[in-house]
Amino acid sequence: MSMLKIMTGIRNGLVKLLQVSAIVIMIVLVVDVLWGVFSRYAIGHQTRWTEEVATILLIWISFFGGSLTYAEKGHLGVDYFVGKLDPDAQRLNEILCHLIVGLFAAAAMIYGGWLLFSKTMASGQTLPALGIEAGYKYIVVPISGCFMLLFAIEHIMELLAKRNCREAVR
Amino acid sequence: MIEEILILVITFCVLMLINVPIAICIGVASFLTVLAIGNVDTAYIIAQRMAGGVESFPLLAIPFFIISGYLMGEGGMARRLIDFASAAVGWCKGGLGYVNVLTCMMFGSISGSAAAAVSSIGGFMIPEMNRKGYDKSFNVAITCTAATTGLLIPPSNVMIVYAVVAGSVSVADLFMAGVLPGIIVGVCLMIAGGLICWKRGYGGAQATSPKRIATTFVHAVPSLLLIVIVLYGILGGICSATEASAVSVLYALILTVFLYREVKIKDLPKLFLSSVKTTAMVMLLVGCSTAMSWVMARENIPQNVSAALLALSDNKIVILLMINVILLIVGTFMDMTPAVLIFTPIFLPAVTAMGIDPVHFGIILIANLCIGLCTPPVGTCLFIGCGVGKTTIAKVLPSLIPFFIAMFVSLMAITYIPWLSMWLPALVKSFGQ
Repeated sequence: MSMLKIMTGIRNGLVKLLQVSAIVIMIVLVVDVLWGVFSRYAIGHQTRWTEEVATILLIWISFFGGSLTYAEKGHLGVDYFVGKLDPDAQRLNEILCHLIVGLFAAAAMIYGGWLLFSKTMASGQTLPALGIEAGYKYIVVPISGCFMLLFAIEHIMELLAKRNCREAVR
Repeated sequence: MIEEILILVITFCVLMLINVPIAICIGVASFLTVLAIGNVDTAYIIAQRMAGGVESFPLLAIPFFIISGYLMGEGGMARRLIDFASAAVGWCKGGLGYVNVLTCMMFGSISGSAAAAVSSIGGFMIPEMNRKGYDKSFNVAITCTAATTGLLIPPSNVMIVYAVVAGSVSVADLFMAGVLPGIIVGVCLMIAGGLICWKRGYGGAQATSPKRIATTFVHAVPSLLLIVIVLYGILGGICSATEASAVSVLYALILTVFLYREVKIKDLPKLFLSSVKTTAMVMLLVGCSTAMSWVMARENIPQNVSAALLALSDNKIVILLMINVILLIVGTFMDMTPAVLIFTPIFLPAVTAMGIDPVHFGIILIANLCIGLCTPPVGTCLFIGCGVGKTTIAKVLPSLIPFFIAMFVSLMAITYIPWLSMWLPALVKSFGQ
């Protein structure tokens, strides 16, 4: 039970952190794109880095937001058929789903994302206007993968604990 | 080849059946298929496609339109639009039905979300119509179906998604192409609703006067101006769709926070956060679907589907009908964004081979999938509508049938009269020259 408490604490902390960063990124995005338009008309030539910054932040907010939405179980799914199962089977099914999400996060996002990040870094590409290495665009993929894996484990532990509680009551 | 396609399709269907998030279904199915193909670094390919898919400046318009939609929704836009629509069309027999459809068209366009239109407009209109003696299931049915018109009337996020997946399709063209079809669906829904109201003898709301129409219109103008600003910016070549969406955020902020003061500054973080979540949901789908399109292209699935369709018939009318039937079935159990992401790459080659413009096909696709938003087992609008109207799907279904017929008739018109979609974009272009 205490393990679960620790995990839930970690999740809540991470969710807060992700929420704050998502809001900040979103505000920066709006300001950045507006500055792009403004600079084009007010100064006469568009600031070169606005589109690069916007694209990087869009990747970041997509993946951070994706793991945040998963932490709060907000992703689209088809719950019609599962709804017809009995409660025990539903819980078992839910554990299986989180297991699949966790495995996908580990394989595609953490492992694959790390390969993507390190290969792009190794290629030595840089972003023309910002002058930083292009690989940093993708660092968010493995990081969000870690978050997603953690959330999957926490969801599963929570579901397992629920079952133990019910058995104790019986 | 066949084995790999089977892996892709079966994995996807099984995972979807057991309620794995659809984005992850797509991701896992693609992952396993790439693994089966072999010879490539599977994890790297999937991660690269996912990140590459969301690395797109045009897609940035989606979160921005969502934010401005939320702001306008929180800022009392629904009430102003309803007041205006009541003054304009509420006085006649069955008037509240027309008010409902007209408000949904305006609100759906500005908010860009059918779900938001159902909850905001339905939240006002369904109880009001109940009070005036309109049948509860009728009220929910008309709200759900009318709310989908906002996806055809610009600005529309699902059109941006389509433009990005289809490639080489201009968002500006799509936006203009959707205007007439959106109005046609709305008018067909009004006719269906009007006939029912007339048969049942539902009354009007209240008498109106030109003065009342004028005052309510003046109140609604600042909300409607958002559409004008966005379209003028894009069509006038002043800025890209993404930039126009950012401007719409600025406009909505100034209007609702500083002028109307209906949105408090302290509410903004929460509002931004909900837009991040909606965006992330769409973007994860886009990322995973990009991986799937790569797999499908590698397996020549689009070419094979295209060849199979063209082998069945070389008649444009028949093929479009087949595609429409398939999409209607898909729409019943799949939400709009994943369906657009998955089926655009599959059908587009066949359709363009027959000389149908990708812009026209985009409008057909969206008009078709709009029907699916109101059908069980998966129908976002229907679910929200039943929640707002405090009724059940089983009770609403019989009342939905006339509206489904109206939507189907307009879908057929949109499919077989290309002019409806292609005339406005051409007209706008001719002005530009």
